[in-house]
Amino acid sequence: MSVPPLLNIENLKTYFYSKGRQAFIRSVDDVSFEIRRGETLGVVGESGSGKSVMALSVMGLVGAAPGVVAGRIGLKTDGIRKNLLQDLDDYVERVEADGRVVEVRKDVVGWQKNVERLMAMVRGKTVAMIFQNPKSSLNPFLSVGRQITEAIRLHTPCKGKAESRERALYWLERVRMDSPRLRYDNYPRALSGGMCQRAMVAMVLSCEPSFLIADEPTTGLDATIQSRIADLLAELKADLGVTTMLISHDIGIIRRLSDSVAVMYGGMVVEYGPAGKVLAAGPESGHPYTAALLASVPDERNIRGKEPLQAIPGDVPDTIHVPNGCRFYGRCVRVTAAVDKECASLLPPLSEITPGHAVRCWLYEGS
Amino acid sequence: MPGTILEVSRLKKYFSQRRGWFSPHSGEERLIPAVDDVSFYIKEKEILGLVGESGCGKTTVGRTILGLTPATSGSILFEGKEITALPPEELRALRSRMQMIFQDLDAALNPKMRVRDILSEAILLHHRLTDAEVERKTAELLEQVNLKASKLPSFPDELSGGEKRRVGIARALAVGARFLVADEPTSALDVSIQAQVVNLLLDLQKRLGLSYLFISHDLRVVELLSHKVAVMYLGKIVEIGLSESIARAPRHPYTRILWSSLVEKQSGEAFRHPHGSAAGSWGVFDFERPAAGCRFAPRCPVFEAKGRPAVCTDPSSAPQLAAAGPAHQVACHFPTE
Amino acid sequence: MRKRYVQAPGRSDEASGLRFLRKADAVDLFFVGYGLLIVVLVAASYAAGVFRLLPYDPEAVNLGLMLAPPGTAGHLLGTDFMGRDLLSRLILGIQAYFLPGLLAVAVAIVPGAALGVLAGYGAGRADRVITWFSNLVDSFPRLVLILLVVAAFKPDIYFIMVVVGLTNVPATVSLVKVKIRFLREKNFIEAAEGLGLPRRTIVLKHILWHHCRASLIIRATLGMGEAILMETSLSYLGFGVQEPTPSWGNMVQSGANYFLQGNFWPSTVPALAILLSILGFHLLGDGLNNLLERKAVH
Repeated sequence: MSVPPLLNIENLKTYFYSKGRQAFIRSVDDVSFEIRRGETLGVVGESGSGKSVMALSVMGLVGAAPGVVAGRIGLKTDGIRKNLLQDLDDYVERVEADGRVVEVRKDVVGWQKNVERLMAMVRGKTVAMIFQNPKSSLNPFLSVGRQITEAIRLHTPCKGKAESRERALYWLERVRMDSPRLRYDNYPRALSGGMCQRAMVAMVLSCEPSFLIADEPTTGLDATIQSRIADLLAELKADLGVTTMLISHDIGIIRRLSDSVAVMYGGMVVEYGPAGKVLAAGPESGHPYTAALLASVPDERNIRGKEPLQAIPGDVPDTIHVPNGCRFYGRCVRVTAAVDKECASLLPPLSEITPGHAVRCWLYEGS
Repeated sequence: MPGTILEVSRLKKYFSQRRGWFSPHSGEERLIPAVDDVSFYIKEKEILGLVGESGCGKTTVGRTILGLTPATSGSILFEGKEITALPPEELRALRSRMQMIFQDLDAALNPKMRVRDILSEAILLHHRLTDAEVERKTAELLEQVNLKASKLPSFPDELSGGEKRRVGIARALAVGARFLVADEPTSALDVSIQAQVVNLLLDLQKRLGLSYLFISHDLRVVELLSHKVAVMYLGKIVEIGLSESIARAPRHPYTRILWSSLVEKQSGEAFRHPHGSAAGSWGVFDFERPAAGCRFAPRCPVFEAKGRPAVCTDPSSAPQLAAAGPAHQVACHFPTE
Repeated sequence: MRKRYVQAPGRSDEASGLRFLRKADAVDLFFVGYGLLIVVLVAASYAAGVFRLLPYDPEAVNLGLMLAPPGTAGHLLGTDFMGRDLLSRLILGIQAYFLPGLLAVAVAIVPGAALGVLAGYGAGRADRVITWFSNLVDSFPRLVLILLVVAAFKPDIYFIMVVVGLTNVPATVSLVKVKIRFLREKNFIEAAEGLGLPRRTIVLKHILWHHCRASLIIRATLGMGEAILMETSLSYLGFGVQEPTPSWGNMVQSGANYFLQGNFWPSTVPALAILLSILGFHLLGDGLNNLLERKAVH
């Protein structure tokens, strides 16, 4: 590809050390991918798949004392490529006994200082994030307009009062908020969930970030409002070309908005490739998890025939006691006798099956 | 009606809210019509789906049927018996016949009790059984909801979401319920687990001949599971009919918008509506102070397309449910053909 | 040196059967053990009183052996300014606070929990009335209230302890009420009612026993510590137990006169006893709470 990626993540690992269970929770385990300028990457996964923790790692928000982030997150900002995880390793020390980690010591203050230094010019200005619950992401004690102008004056060269108000109103209009002048003075509690999400989008975009992370932007909203928010995101994508990482468990919205898709399972990317290829997977192509996930959603055939759904057996994976083999082993219905041994005991590599389309599965190895 | 397990007629539930400057106990009192004149019936071994946006009163309908909140007016006949004003003792006895599955996975599970105790408490509630019989009944329940016996000594917080849901369902079955109100039973679960629970509910209904009131905002699942579907908007049922006709040939503009939003979200294709875009006005609407006349009018594309006819906003002519085909009723002045 | 995080530890709960011996548990067990020791001492005091096992009559004056230092033949802890055996007085002094303290705890917990259930469960009017009374009691300076009671009735320790207990009722009420509110918010109570459980079972078993037990134990042991402090302070001031009946409070008070002359033991010994007993009750509650809770939640 000729266009250099805006964001590239290499071997990102975000672990949390659980004192009670004396083990690592491997929320994000060796994740690598890149997003080119103007592209939308859809990240699909269930709870515990690590998709939200990954987003928080990019934002430098893994502040919890036991959180450990390793790897490399390269982000191009002001023409320079920065590693957002520079030197963070130096603040962490592991204590081992009998080959097992018994304690993780972390210089929380130093870590936090370093993160703040690295993120200072990035957060809000270059990377911005929309959260799942818009109502709780807005400050209930400030009017919507005030919150937007505050963000504008903090992150953009526009500092004047009247000027920033104009810009805030422009953005409220831009996200199709009805009667923006009225809403400008409203407090979040006076707005519905969908309108709060619009206000949140307006606030985030008004700082003109080059990279946007949308973490479950439609979850929890009503069906009719969900499709409106999806419309809005599609429109903004077409008009502004904001590079976006869209995180959702809703395959419908991912299918609509993404150029490429990463499917996460148990903290790992199990399939990565162009949206058309990944989400079009039939029962015999792509990663078995993706196929099973796509099949478990009710479709015409199920509904017409009142047939039971194709449920994925078993339970969401445990990210503490990770198996040696494939993370999906045990729930996978496509394991064949030929690969069973590998599946059970060896972690499959993420390798390309066609150019640009990679799958982490033994079924595709060596063929 | 023979074969009818539940018949709700003209059910109303108004919540009163006081708003004042200095104390919530003074100031003007407002009545919020959470459920306003709702009627429907559910036959034996039938599943009625109840859909609508959050705040439309669908959960309140379920809670009122269970007697968890008293009805303001109207009647609820369960197995032919009026149950709106039962004394507490009879209400408790009634609950051996009808149960609710709560949206919140943890609601039914006391975190300080083991799965075994949670189940045996429910089993012993309405039946006097020996230890061996309880043991046998527990095993039977586990088999029914497809839960491993190894989970019996676990505490609820050691279970996964899917397992918690299974225990919740097993508990509802333990008292011997024939009718379940399932309030968003899948919404708190992961996508890959949702299908398991939907299948379980479908399977139990067939095997045990249960009836459900299935409340959900997941239209696909409702369509798959239910025989009939009722669509609620701001406390009123605006359309009710067989699930196929509700999904494929909706007559009410709101039903149309609901189902089209499913397609639209995925494809971005605007729904091909005879009266133009389905977008309409999606501004804030006050759940507590619904519009006079037809409550949907402020958001209704048909209302706009017809040039805002007066009959839609006339307080004295709120649209009533009227027959619109076989087993199909719609409450609209201008139902789509 | 760069550290790698690829090799995170594998299974680590193998020792789950031996959880007992974990460090944290050991600390809790020590807490409980220490607390129980205090309780045993209380029992010993009553036993000694009933079966006349005290080394000396605690009220017997021996003017020949005034202010004998600890270790003096026969007097392990020495004697006070009237030559009375300190150990005997110390043991008997336990009785000055224990039953009154128990009364204070009972008054604070039992009606408090009942009112809390009424306020949390009944909501509406009951809640408003109970909250109003709670606020009223809370806003009254406690010491003034106690002095009023002392002035109005006789300076009887049981009267005083009832007042101490009453002033602690609001805390118990709000504790139970908040818990019920929380459970209600999570639909827990509704689900229990929906199942068809009798209200008595819900309140007694599910709410009070399963969910409030730990906090009530803590409140009770804290209340006991407070009662000790209150009794000894009042006795020190001369409002509580009157000489010659021993109380740790009046022992500190009478002993303090001789402290500066170098006779530290008549005041220091009961003061230390107060300190260690209060600590004991607090630790007992803390340890019990941790042990009980950890059993349920891992």
